[in-house]
Amino acid sequence: MKIQLRYLFLLVTILAFTGSCMEDLPSQLEYEGYEFADLDEGAGEWKLILMSGNEEVVIPAPAAVGSAALNQELQDSKTKIANATDEQRKSVSYWTNNPLIRWNEIALELSVKYNLIPGPNADGTYTLPNPADPSATPNFPFAHPPYISRMLAYLSVAQYDGLITSWHYKEKFGRPAPYVLDPQIVSAYADNGLNSYPSDGAVVAITSREILSAMFPLEKEYLSKLADEHLESLVIAGINVTSDVEAGKLIGTEVAKKALARAANDGMKNAQTPKPKSDSIKNAAFQRFGWQWDNQETPQRPVGLTPLFGKVKMWNVPNVEVVRAPVPPTPGSEEFNKDAQELQRYADNLTQDQRRIANFWNDGLNTYSPPGHWNRFAKETVVKNRLSPVRTARVFAYMNMAIVDAGISCWDTKYYYHYPRPIQTIPGFKTILGTPNFPAYTSGHSTFSSAAAEVLSHFFPADAAKFKNWADEAAMSRVYGGIHYRFDAEEGLKQGKAVGAYSVAKAQLDQAD
Amino acid sequence: MFLGLLFASLGLMQLTYAQTPTDGLMMPKGEICIAVIYEDANWDHYWEGTYLRTNGNIGTFNRKMLMPMIVGGITDKINVIVSLPYVKTSASAGQLTGVEGFQDFGISLKAQLVEKTMEKSKLMVFSNLSFSTPASNYLSDYMPFSLGFGANELGLRAIGQYELNKGPYLRGSIAYLHRGATEAERDYYYQDGSYYTATMDVPDAWNAQLALGSWFLDKKLRVEATLTLLNSTSGDDIRAYNAPQPTNKVEYDQVGGFAQYYLKKGGGLGFLAYYNHMFSGRNMGQFSGYGLGLTYQFKAF
Repeated sequence: MKIQLRYLFLLVTILAFTGSCMEDLPSQLEYEGYEFADLDEGAGEWKLILMSGNEEVVIPAPAAVGSAALNQELQDSKTKIANATDEQRKSVSYWTNNPLIRWNEIALELSVKYNLIPGPNADGTYTLPNPADPSATPNFPFAHPPYISRMLAYLSVAQYDGLITSWHYKEKFGRPAPYVLDPQIVSAYADNGLNSYPSDGAVVAITSREILSAMFPLEKEYLSKLADEHLESLVIAGINVTSDVEAGKLIGTEVAKKALARAANDGMKNAQTPKPKSDSIKNAAFQRFGWQWDNQETPQRPVGLTPLFGKVKMWNVPNVEVVRAPVPPTPGSEEFNKDAQELQRYADNLTQDQRRIANFWNDGLNTYSPPGHWNRFAKETVVKNRLSPVRTARVFAYMNMAIVDAGISCWDTKYYYHYPRPIQTIPGFKTILGTPNFPAYTSGHSTFSSAAAEVLSHFFPADAAKFKNWADEAAMSRVYGGIHYRFDAEEGLKQGKAVGAYSVAKAQLDQAD
Repeated sequence: MFLGLLFASLGLMQLTYAQTPTDGLMMPKGEICIAVIYEDANWDHYWEGTYLRTNGNIGTFNRKMLMPMIVGGITDKINVIVSLPYVKTSASAGQLTGVEGFQDFGISLKAQLVEKTMEKSKLMVFSNLSFSTPASNYLSDYMPFSLGFGANELGLRAIGQYELNKGPYLRGSIAYLHRGATEAERDYYYQDGSYYTATMDVPDAWNAQLALGSWFLDKKLRVEATLTLLNSTSGDDIRAYNAPQPTNKVEYDQVGGFAQYYLKKGGGLGFLAYYNHMFSGRNMGQFSGYGLGLTYQFKAF
């Protein structure tokens, strides 16, 4: 008996030391290049967002089919394909023929990387990131939800205008893809027959690199390396020759300039105010309503997050006041007490499912935030529906314009009413989620989510009920988590829906359907 | 922060008392020891990576634990040990709520492989195989308040003890702790890059201990000083001013003192007390704490 047990110990020793049973955990959306449900050949006529016309960026006419120049390019392509390294082949399968998905993923990962709130200095003061010196501590940017929402809007709009332009020239010049012109070249993806001049992949690579480099200046080198890999993969995949790529780069560069010119003057640089301005905003609310929100952290943060984000230029809403939420219940009123008591009840008796919902939607610091969460849903839905790159870009552009507009309207409401959080109004109240550094009313999660759901429901009506449920759940998650009153969530949902409707109305006029 | 981790499963039992997975004692066949340990530990500094800092929104962190434990002698050379700690956490400052509940159920087999008696001393070698698993649906991804790391752990330990007949002894042990995965309630997290899953890989760890002790009062009193080290074999650091997560690379070095007193030799009621203090670490609250326990040993069969 003793001896046998000793052997058992030995056996388990071996198992314990050798047996590593962890599988690889997914670090990206699992999808491959696919056949597009529709090539959207007429997309060159769709309505642009930033550009005034589909020939605002001029590209040279391509070398004709059968010309010596093009034949030479095809020859070069074949050499590159034949000599491709394993690394390069992996790159081809990573980027796919709808690489916007990958660039969106990269944008989200950078959002998470930079979504860290600056901590206090030893003397109890706080230092904010400085865009003029991004590598100083704390690094620029602090990618909070308003920052992420705005970044995603510029990224998506630039990609969209770039792809419309690319589709226009594809149709105009009609130059077939290398795998059509030369039977020795095989497309790494489905042979969808999309014309290849100018390269849509190159448009996406360059617009993405440019917008993201401006938004995350410390990542310039990293993004440049990614873009180079992506551009290289286009030729090795057999879907573009070098002149396709060069023409795509031209478009990408010009469209990105246009987007960044808007970004430079959209009001974001004034969103994070100095303390005197922030105090005057707070005092104005107190004069008007008799309450004010104060940060409850130790040491106290002197200024809330981006008090003037509500003044940032909107994309599709005529002015922010038209979507401002109505006056919330006065703290201490019967209506208020009802919702405050509800929070106390959840805090005392949170069910397993409510806790799960609160955590699933937490999307706080060190995450891609609610705007990122909805971009993830959009990616999954786009792949499921096998959308073409240009139609994919359309979904992201209208959704992300709605999301940032929702953020702007929510922030306008937050700092107009300057409404205190539950931890401020309910004595001794403790929560399972961290309370953010801005006023309660309305809930950002609710507003972002409802706007995103509204736009996604327009593009994917079959999934509308699912999107609405998600938005409702995201809204309630903040109530379960103890950081929002029910009226914050419910008014936020209404506000987001109203904002989303403006984006949908614009999408309905863009000639894509 | 991070409290749960450490004393989770094996961590705590290491220092606590007689007939544990780590010590140099065995229960004779048919003897059972029932123990209840109460522990109270605090930190007001924690290591963010290796940087020791405070956090005004935590203040002083407290962790209380009540742990019933049973040790039984299957044979003179093989013991089984089971334990089920109840843990409660809280912070003196900030707005986040503490949690409480059953942590991990632990079961462990300890075998004496060598007993070599010499003229004035003896040498003993033991091996210990342990397994622990979460005993409730606590959320591991709620650090530093979470009750534990929320994953199964399989541990294998070797223990050697050299003891003089007069009482003094020196003991060393080393263990490899293989941890499984834990499930978060979010389906994305960042660990030096994106993870699109709720599954978090809890790093494995090496755990070593050196103890210098002695028996007194005709083997009714045992006193020892310990040095305990734990080193995760992988994992990431807590990000700047951010919460810890179960994927973190946890390390600590801890000193402790321990005493156990039996009212009468060879069984019956006993008492134990200990104090531990961490002097270096990584991604971990700098715990100091004491424990008090009651043991009762009897012949069952």
